[in-house]
Amino acid sequence: MVLSRIFPLLPFILLFFIGGCQPEPYSQGEVLYKYHCENCHMEDGSGLGKLIPHLDSAKLTLSDPVKLVCLIRNGLPVNKLTGQKMPANLKMNEVEMTNLVNFLGSKYASNPQTVIVPEVKKMLAGCQTD
Amino acid sequence: MKLLTFEGITIIGCILIAGCGNEPKRLPYLGNMEVKGSDTLYHTIPDITLTDQDSQTYRISNLDNKIILADFFFTSCPSICPKVTKQMLRLYDRYKDDDRVVIISHTIDQRHDSVAVLNRYAHNLGVDTGKWKFVTGEKDSIFYLADQYFVSVIEDPLAPAGFDHSGRIILVDKARRVRGFCEGTDPESVTAFFDSVDKLLKDEYQ
Repeated sequence: MVLSRIFPLLPFILLFFIGGCQPEPYSQGEVLYKYHCENCHMEDGSGLGKLIPHLDSAKLTLSDPVKLVCLIRNGLPVNKLTGQKMPANLKMNEVEMTNLVNFLGSKYASNPQTVIVPEVKKMLAGCQTD
Repeated sequence: MKLLTFEGITIIGCILIAGCGNEPKRLPYLGNMEVKGSDTLYHTIPDITLTDQDSQTYRISNLDNKIILADFFFTSCPSICPKVTKQMLRLYDRYKDDDRVVIISHTIDQRHDSVAVLNRYAHNLGVDTGKWKFVTGEKDSIFYLADQYFVSVIEDPLAPAGFDHSGRIILVDKARRVRGFCEGTDPESVTAFFDSVDKLLKDEYQ
C-alpha cells in the first residue's frame, strides 16, 4: 500500500539523492577560476582593497553573460584611479568560457543565468574588439 | 631500583622531554657567516638608499631599531603579487599598532612603478604608509638587494609582465640580519610565520 503510493515519487527522490551527492555543480568552472582568476580575485572573490574590487560588487555584470564573457575575453583598460587593469584572456575556448561563466554566475550573480556552449560561441564572436 | 621500572622510566622521560621543550629557542641567523679579522659576522642586509612612496629617501639603518618585514613586487603584476600582498595585509593588520615593526615592499619594475604610481597603489590598498613603505631605487641596487634578502628576481621577457620572482616575505632583525621567511603565496606558511615574528619581537625587545 505504502509502496504504491511512493512509487510515482520515486524518480524525484532518486534525483534528490543524486543531486545531493554532487558537491559543486560547476566543478570545471571552479578549476578554471583557480587557474585564470584566483591570483588576483582571490579564492573567496575578495580581491585586494580598492585595487581589485570584491566580486560581490559586480553582481550586475555577473548576471549578464554577454557582458561577462566579453569582460573576461577583453579585460579592462587601465583604471585611472587605481592604475590597475584587468588582463585580457585570449586562451580560453568557448567550452571553458561557458563553464567559467556558469560557475561565476552561480556564485556571485544577483540573478544567475545559465549559458550553453553555442550561445557563448556567439557571444565571443560578438565581443571581438579588433 | 624502583625508578627503573617501566613506569619510572616513562615518567623521567616525560620530564626530560618537557624540560627540553620549554627552553626558549632562538630564531636562526640565515645566510653565510663571514670572518673578518677575528670577528665572525652574520649575513646582513646592505644599507642601500631607497626612495619611498612620498619621495623620501632613507636607509634601513635610519629605521630607528625596528624589525622589518620585506617583500618584492610590482604594481602591474598579473601573477603572484596580489596573493602575496593579501598575505602582507594580514601581517599589516596584525602589527599595525606595534611600533617595533615596519613593512617594506620593494618594486622590481622601476621603469613603470614611479613614486607617483607607488603612492597611488598604497592609497588604494588603504594602508598607513608610515607603517608600510613602498619603495623604489636604482634597478641594479634593488636586484642586488633582493639577492641579499634571498628572494629570486629575474627579468624574463617570457614571464607574465616581464618578471619572474618569488613571493617570499622576509623577516629581518634590528641589526639587519635575516631571521626567517615564509612563502607569501601560501596562507598557512604565513600563519606559521606569525610565531617567528612574535618570537623575534620577544627576543629583540626584552
